Amino acid sequence: MLAVLHAREDAYGMNVRREIETRTDREVAIGAVYATLDRLEQKGLIASRRVNGDGGSRRVFSVTAAGTRALYETRTVRDRLWQGLDLPVLVAKFRA
Amino acid sequence: MASHSPAQPPAPPRVPVAILGALLPFAERSEVLADLAAEFAYRAGTFGKPAASRWYWRQLASSAPSLTRRIWWRGWSGFEPNANRMRPGGPSMESWIMDARYAARRLVRRPLYTVLSVLTLALGIGGTAAVYAIARPILLDPLPYRAEEGLVAFWMPFDWSEQEFLYLRGRVPGFSEFAAYRTDNVLLDRGDGQVRLLPSIFSSVELFPVLGTKPALGRWFQKGEDERGAEAVAVLSYGLWQELGGDRSIVGQRLRIDGQPRTVVGVMPRGFWFPDPTTKIWIPQPLRPDNRSGNYAFLGRMAPGLTVERMSGPMAEFVRMLGERFKYPAQWDKTKNPALTPLRKYLVGSLTPALVATFVAMGLILLIACANVAALMLGQVEGRTTELAVRSALGANRVRLTQQLVAEAALLGIAAGIVGALLAVLAFRGLVAALPLGAWGEAATLSWSVFAAAMVAAVLAATMVAIAPGVAMWRGNLRHVIGSSRTGGIAGRGGRLEGSLVVAEVALAVVMAAGAGLLVRSVAKLYAIDPGIDTRNVGVLHIVLPNEMETPRRFQALREISDALATMPGVTNAGAAQILPISGDGWSSGIRVEGDPNGEVTTTFVRFVTPKYLETMGVTLRDGRMFTDADRTSAGTTPGIIVNEALVKKYFPGTNPIGRRVSTGFSDTLGVVIGVVNDVAEAHLTDAPGPARYMLAETIPFVAGGQGVVFRTSGRDPATLLEDARQMVRRTIPGAGIERVSTMEREFATAVGPARQVMMLLAILTTLALVLGAVGVYGVISHFVNRRSRDWGVRLALGMAPSKVVRMIVARGTALVGLGIVLGIAAFFALARLLGSLLYGVGASDPLAMGTATVVLLVVGVLAAVIPGMRASRTDPAIVLREQ
Repeated sequence: MLAVLHAREDAYGMNVRREIETRTDREVAIGAVYATLDRLEQKGLIASRRVNGDGGSRRVFSVTAAGTRALYETRTVRDRLWQGLDLPVLVAKFRA
Repeated sequence: MASHSPAQPPAPPRVPVAILGALLPFAERSEVLADLAAEFAYRAGTFGKPAASRWYWRQLASSAPSLTRRIWWRGWSGFEPNANRMRPGGPSMESWIMDARYAARRLVRRPLYTVLSVLTLALGIGGTAAVYAIARPILLDPLPYRAEEGLVAFWMPFDWSEQEFLYLRGRVPGFSEFAAYRTDNVLLDRGDGQVRLLPSIFSSVELFPVLGTKPALGRWFQKGEDERGAEAVAVLSYGLWQELGGDRSIVGQRLRIDGQPRTVVGVMPRGFWFPDPTTKIWIPQPLRPDNRSGNYAFLGRMAPGLTVERMSGPMAEFVRMLGERFKYPAQWDKTKNPALTPLRKYLVGSLTPALVATFVAMGLILLIACANVAALMLGQVEGRTTELAVRSALGANRVRLTQQLVAEAALLGIAAGIVGALLAVLAFRGLVAALPLGAWGEAATLSWSVFAAAMVAAVLAATMVAIAPGVAMWRGNLRHVIGSSRTGGIAGRGGRLEGSLVVAEVALAVVMAAGAGLLVRSVAKLYAIDPGIDTRNVGVLHIVLPNEMETPRRFQALREISDALATMPGVTNAGAAQILPISGDGWSSGIRVEGDPNGEVTTTFVRFVTPKYLETMGVTLRDGRMFTDADRTSAGTTPGIIVNEALVKKYFPGTNPIGRRVSTGFSDTLGVVIGVVNDVAEAHLTDAPGPARYMLAETIPFVAGGQGVVFRTSGRDPATLLEDARQMVRRTIPGAGIERVSTMEREFATAVGPARQVMMLLAILTTLALVLGAVGVYGVISHFVNRRSRDWGVRLALGMAPSKVVRMIVARGTALVGLGIVLGIAAFFALARLLGSLLYGVGASDPLAMGTATVVLLVVGVLAAVIPGMRASRTDPAIVLREQ
C-alpha cells in the first residue's frame, strides 16, 4: 500500500513492483504483487480503475479512505510499541 | 530475423511468456506482459540478454505459485476487480472452480436428487471396481514367469506317467525346456505338535528352468535331485517362508515334511505362484522309469521363434515318438488328439467366463445407473430451462452452460467414486466368496487398484451422465424457451432424448435378466441331476493319515475312525472311501470278467471303502447284499465286490452278476460280486453313469493317505456335528491331519460348480438392474407427464375420458419398454457366448429364459408408467389452466 502511495498517479502493477524492489532492495515477482493487490482490493483497502494511457489500457491502483485509515493505525501501533525503546542503545548493547 | 535488428527491442523468451499469459486474467494479460517485456528490454540493454532472460525466468518461477493461488481464490470467491469489470473472467480453471462451487451449492440444495444420483452411480462404480480388482491379477497381470508367451501345457494334464516323461526328457522336438509336475498335499511338522497340510507340487528338476523365475533366496533344484537316492530338498513359497519366521538362514535348514527331513534350498520371490497362489512348497519327485501311474502334467517352453500355431511339425514328430515307444490301446491313445494350451489359458482359463460375465453384468449396472442419473439430470435441466435461457440471454454462451453441467456431473462422479470405493471394499470380500475362484479366492487381497478402478469408473460415469443433458442443452433453442415457457408446452419437445435413455436402460436390463434366466435354468437342471446318493444329513471330513503309518495300521485306523464317529450322539452310520463321489476324481483300473476272453482292456471306477460306507452315503442296494465286517477277513483272498447297475449293463447284460468273478484291478486276484447298487456320479455330476466297483479297503495292499470320511445323522444338521467329529478323529488317531470338513450338500453345491455361484450373483445384480430400470422408466414417464400437465388439463377439459389419458401414457411407456426389449434381446445374442461354458442343458438362445426376461421387463415397465398415468388422469383442468 505504501508502494502504491509512492507510485502516485502511476500506480500500476509494474511500477508498484519496481517501487518495492528499489525501496527494499529485493527482487519481487510481478505475480505476487498482483495477487496481493487483488486481496487488498477485495478487502477494500485499495481500489483499481482503468486508465487509458500511451501504452494502452492499464489497471491503476489507489489507496482508499479505509486503506489510509489502516495505514495510519498500523503506523500508530508501531510507534506506540517503539515508545521508550532507544535503538542505538540496543545496538550498542549487542555489539558489546 | 526482425527481432535481432537494432531497431527492435529484444523479445523475452517465449516459454515463460506463454506460461505467464495462461496464468493471468484476460483483462490484465497484455498489460502485464507488455510491462514485463519493457523491463526485459531495459535489462537486456543494461546487463546483457542472458541476465535479462534469467531475470524473466525468475519472475515466472516466483509468480507462478501466487498466480495459481489467485486463480483458485478468484474462482472460489468470485472476486472481480473493479478495473476489470468490462472484461471479466480469468483462465479457464477459474471458471471451472466457479462452476464447481455453483454446482455444489445446487446439489446441496437438492439433497434427494444428489443422494439418489450418488448412490445409484456408487452402486455401479463399486461393483465394477470390485470385480475389476479381483479379475485384474487373474486375467490381466502378467504371469510371474519369464517370457510367458513361450510356455505351453500339454494335452491330457495329470494323465502322463514318470515312465513317459523319462522317455521324452531331453528329446522333445520344438521345445527348449520340458518338465513334468503333479499336485499333492504334504504334511509339514513344525516340531511344536502342529501338523499342517500344505498344497505342494512334486516335479522334475526342469520345472523352474521352464518357468524361468529365479528364487529370491538360495537356488532352484539341481540336476539329479529328482533321481532316487538324491538328497531330499524343497523350495518354499515366499508366504510360507514368512510364516516360518522370514529368516534368511532358512536356506540349508531342514524341515520335517511328510515325516521326512528335507533341506530347504531356496525361497521363491514374493508374488510368484505356480500353478496357483495356494501352493506353498515345490519338491523334486524321484522319478522311476518303471512307474506307469499317470498323474503328471507336462509343461514346456517352446524353442525360440516357435509359437503354438507353428508347433504342428514338432508335435507330429512328438506323437510319432510316443506312439512308437508306447503302443497305446485304442481306448486311451494319447497320440490321438495332441493339443498345446498357452499357459495362461491352462492355469486361469476356467475362471475367465465367470469373471468376464460378472464384470459385464457390473458394467451393465453401471451403464443403467448412468442412464438413470442422466435422465434425472435431464429432468433438472428441463426444470431449469427458464433460468438457463435467462442466463443465455444475459450473455452466457453454451460452452459455459455446458461446462456447468459437466461440473455438476463431475462433482456427482467424484462423490460417487468415493462412496463407490467404500462399497467396492465391502463388495470385494463378498464377491471373492461368491465367485468360483477356488485357490485364487484365498489369495485375493484388496489393493489400491480397487480405488484406482473406482475413480476411473467414476470419471467414465460422470462423462456418460453429462452427455445426454449436454446434448439437450446444445440442441435446444434456449432463447425460444423464454417465449414458450409461459404460453405452453404442447408444442414443446417430444422428450426423444429421455425416451432413448429409457430404451437403453430397458435393453441393458433385458441383457442381464436373460443372462440370469439362462443360468437359473442351467443350475436348476444341474440340481435336478440325481447323483445316486442321499446328500442330506451327511457330514464330510477330508483326512490325511500320517505318512509313517504302516498299511495294516491304516486299515485299523480307518475302522477305528468309522466306529468312533458312529458312536457320536445323533449319528447313525459312518464310513470312509479313498475318494468321495462328485469330487471330480476318476480313479479307475482295468477290469477282467472271468470267462471273458477279452482280458483287461477296459477300466471301471474303483472305490476302496469301509463296510458301512455305502449305507452312510444312502446308496440303494438293487440286488445281493452290502458289505459286512466279516468280509474284511476274506478281502485279501477272495474279496467281495459290489458293482453298480452301469457295470452290470455293460459287462453282464441280461445275466445275473451275483456270484460271478471279476478282477480287482490291482493284482491277479479275482473277487466275487456280492451285490448290485444304483449308479453314483463318482467323478463329475454331469457325467453319464459309469461302471464302478466297490471293494473293501483291505482288498489291496496299500491305503491312500487321503481319505474321505463320512457320517450320517438321524435328521440333525451334520454341520453342527463337524467340530465334534473333528475332535473325535483327533482323539482316535492323533497324527492324522484334517484337511477340511464339509457336508455332502455343500460338496454337491460345489459340484454344481461355477454356474451356481455366478447365477446367485447375476440374480442379485438383475434384481438391482430391474429396480434401477423401473425407477428410470418411472422417472422419465412422470417427468413427461408433468411437463405436459397443461396438455392433459386441456384435453380433460375438452372432455377426454381419464382412462384414455392413462392409456395414452401407458402406451408411450410400453412403446419405449418394447423397443428396449427388442434391442436388449438382440444385444444378448451377441453376448450370450460369454455364458456358454457356464450353461448346462440349455442353449444360449433358450426361449424360456428370453420369454421370462421379456415378460418381467414389460410388467415392470408398464407398472412404472401406470403410476404417473393415473396421476395425469386426475389432473384438475381448472388448476392447471389457472396456473397460466
